[in-house]
Amino acid sequence: MSNYLSNLLERLVNAGVDFVLVGGFAGVVHGCTYVTQDIDVCCNFSPDNLIALQEALSDLHPVHRMTPTRKPLQLTEQTCAKLKNLYLDTDLGQLDLLSFIDGVGDYQEVKNVSVMVRAEDMELRVINIDALIAAKKAMNRPRDREAVLQLETLKKLRKQ
Amino acid sequence: MGAKKKVLHSYTDVAGQSDQVRAAVQFGIDVQALIDNLERTPAERIRRHQVALDTTMMLRNAKYL
Repeated sequence: MSNYLSNLLERLVNAGVDFVLVGGFAGVVHGCTYVTQDIDVCCNFSPDNLIALQEALSDLHPVHRMTPTRKPLQLTEQTCAKLKNLYLDTDLGQLDLLSFIDGVGDYQEVKNVSVMVRAEDMELRVINIDALIAAKKAMNRPRDREAVLQLETLKKLRKQ
Repeated sequence: MGAKKKVLHSYTDVAGQSDQVRAAVQFGIDVQALIDNLERTPAERIRRHQVALDTTMMLRNAKYL
């Protein structure tokens, strides 16, 4: 049965997917003002978790966006075992799933430095601001340096 | 029938690309997302952007627990 929730994050939360919001939208949670279109999450890459994710996205035509023919997402327990990252496109936008965040660590380490937030009717884990800064510094592209500036400024402003 | 879709893995496939594309990749822009957007109609681009904006508004109003 289709469960048309208008938001990718709501779908993941409702499906019980084990994940932490990272990247640009994590910056938005902490107060950044830039607009981003792609959702980045660090997640548990166990087969059960990835199959739950696939089920949550099943009516959104998920495809591997980094393949020449945009292959449909068709995970099995066997294929899940080899995965470290998943770069997907769906009818509700782009969703990148990462098993490791540079500057922070693997999923358990990212989860250890996450905070719970409530957004409308859902609760989700978001990487904390210090760990997000560390991750952005590890990437060190100009775009990330701009995000670091915003995040460090937000930290400072909160203390005042 | 159509041209084979170009896939650019943002952090690696810069060899042979134009200066502008290389600069975008090095800045941190997801060039594959740009390529994908070129395949979409303006209406579809706007729809997807609205989804992102709705998500942004929701997360801006999030409260720490």
